[in-house]
Amino acid sequence: MHASAKDTAPAPLSSGHDSQSKERARKVRALLFLSFGWLLALLIGAGTDALLSLRQLDTVERQVSSRFSARSQALSTIVVSVRVYDDQLERFLLQDQLRAPSPDPSDIANKIAEIRDALRGFPSDQFPEEQLLLAEMQNLLLDQENSVATVLTWRPDARQQRAQQFIGEQLLPWRTHILEISQQISTVDGKRLADENLALALRFQSMEERLVWLVALALIAGVLMSLVCGWYILRLERQGRQRYQALARSRLELESLSARLVEAQEEERRSISRELHDEVGQSLGALLVEVGQLTKLVPPEDRVTQAQITHIKSVAETAVKSIRDIALLLRPPMLDDLGLVPALEWQAREISRRSDMEVEVQSQNVSEELGDETKVTIYRLVQEALNNAATHASAKNAKVTALQGPDKITVEITDDGDGFDPERKRGMGILGMEERVRRLGGSLTIQSAPGKGATVTAELPLHLVDSPVNHP
Amino acid sequence: MRKIRILLADDHKLIRGGLRLLVEQQADLTVVGEANDGREAVALAKSLKPDVVVMDIGMPNLNGVEAALQITQANPEISVVMLSMHSDESYVLRALKSGAKGYLLKDSAESDLIKAVHAVADGKSFFSPAVSKVLLDDYVRKLKRSGAEDAYDLLTPREREILQLIAEGKSNKDVANLLNLSVYTVETHRSNVMEKLNLRGIPELILFAVRRGIIS
Repeated sequence: MHASAKDTAPAPLSSGHDSQSKERARKVRALLFLSFGWLLALLIGAGTDALLSLRQLDTVERQVSSRFSARSQALSTIVVSVRVYDDQLERFLLQDQLRAPSPDPSDIANKIAEIRDALRGFPSDQFPEEQLLLAEMQNLLLDQENSVATVLTWRPDARQQRAQQFIGEQLLPWRTHILEISQQISTVDGKRLADENLALALRFQSMEERLVWLVALALIAGVLMSLVCGWYILRLERQGRQRYQALARSRLELESLSARLVEAQEEERRSISRELHDEVGQSLGALLVEVGQLTKLVPPEDRVTQAQITHIKSVAETAVKSIRDIALLLRPPMLDDLGLVPALEWQAREISRRSDMEVEVQSQNVSEELGDETKVTIYRLVQEALNNAATHASAKNAKVTALQGPDKITVEITDDGDGFDPERKRGMGILGMEERVRRLGGSLTIQSAPGKGATVTAELPLHLVDSPVNHP
Repeated sequence: MRKIRILLADDHKLIRGGLRLLVEQQADLTVVGEANDGREAVALAKSLKPDVVVMDIGMPNLNGVEAALQITQANPEISVVMLSMHSDESYVLRALKSGAKGYLLKDSAESDLIKAVHAVADGKSFFSPAVSKVLLDDYVRKLKRSGAEDAYDLLTPREREILQLIAEGKSNKDVANLLNLSVYTVETHRSNVMEKLNLRGIPELILFAVRRGIIS
């Protein structure tokens, strides 16, 4: 008994269902494509973003530090220039007491111009606090420039008189003031550097956070997708298995169906053969006997009647012969009357008589108690192979060998005919034989090549007698 | 004169009727019983002890071959004439192996039955001429196609003589008496014949003799 159909998914057979499933497969493919593409894009996006952000941060950091060092340098130039100027101006003012060579007034004017230039060249970026300090420094410088312009034009006496006073009241406070301012600027710059570094750190942190998010998202999406894919693959696998099982089942059903067909055919043949042989054949046989009697009852002088009777007899004989031939072809009674080997020998001689091929039969240990199906299968197989050899392959000699082993019987039919390519030229007859042999759990092999004759070998497991055969 | 007592065994009433008609026309023959199948034939042969059993080779329950075997084994004095539709060697050999002395084709029963019954009742063999012809044809064809020699030609005249006598149903002792030889010599000749002709057992020897027309 086969498993009922309810525990399996219905096999998709109708064309409507087919196109529907095709449509669905296309959708699933598109979805998969999209999801994987999206995941990939996510990963690429995250990577690119991280790379760009890092590069940007690096640039900004470089800028910040280069700006800071430029400022520090400018500032120190100013400070140094201020000190040099202060020193030179002091020496100029006190040249009489020091008795040292005095710097040229134009040098001093140049120096202050230098300070102005340095101040003007200060790399400022409109930072208000710094701007304010720079403006203050500018003003101080302007004041100084104005006062120095006067001081430089002093005559030596005026200079001697007022030098101390100028230094104490103007130059020193100015210098202190300007140095203070530069100190303040330096502090402001330092603070700014710290601020910018902090901003950088913050940006870095936010980038890090974003990256973590992206990676987490990609990870979750990846896991989700592999789960979905895994589920889908399992489902496909299950469907495939179910389909395969359904296929195997239907094949089995087909096999049993064809087996039943073969059985029915054999049974039908047997019954028609018996009917013909027993009823028609025997009646005709009896008729022949009666006609023979009739000959004796009619006086030999009655030539007309005698001729008539002879004619009736010959017609009846022809009928008996054809009936017998048909019955033999349908179901050889030898199988039932004599057993397998004599039936094969009978067949061999029958073919030898009818054709140009001589058939030899050899057997070893073949039991007379073989199952009916096995006997019939072997008989029909030999019949088919010999007929092929005699009619299609124009063989001159054929040999049938039947060997019985402990658990199987091997039958081999070899001929010296034209041969054929077993892969290509498989007549329906041979296919039918294969079917029969397989149904009994046996195997059939055909070895042949064009011009090399043919060997058909069948191996059948032993099915011992199913019921004693005692048919007439 | 004692009539030859005959048992008819055939599963077809029509045939039995026809045969009975044939037999009853002969003054020296009488039908003592009719059997419908092999089993019945064995039982009737045992109880009626007929001289000759005329039996169809294919019958239900127990086929003719098996029935003949049982009858001849239990009652060697009963002779069996096998009725068959087949002139093939397989059937003839099978009938001979079952102990049948005569082999008659149903087609020729009408003309040959009486001859057959008389022959086997007399201890001789009888084969329908058509059977001998088929056997010979098969033999000749096979020889011709294989190009082999006819083994019969290998036999010496003495061996041919012995072959015929044995095929006719004589024992070694009968042959020895007839030919004025010792039983041992007959035995030797006989095994030489069997070996030259590649025969296994008396039935095959008889078949060969029939085929070659040595006996009929």
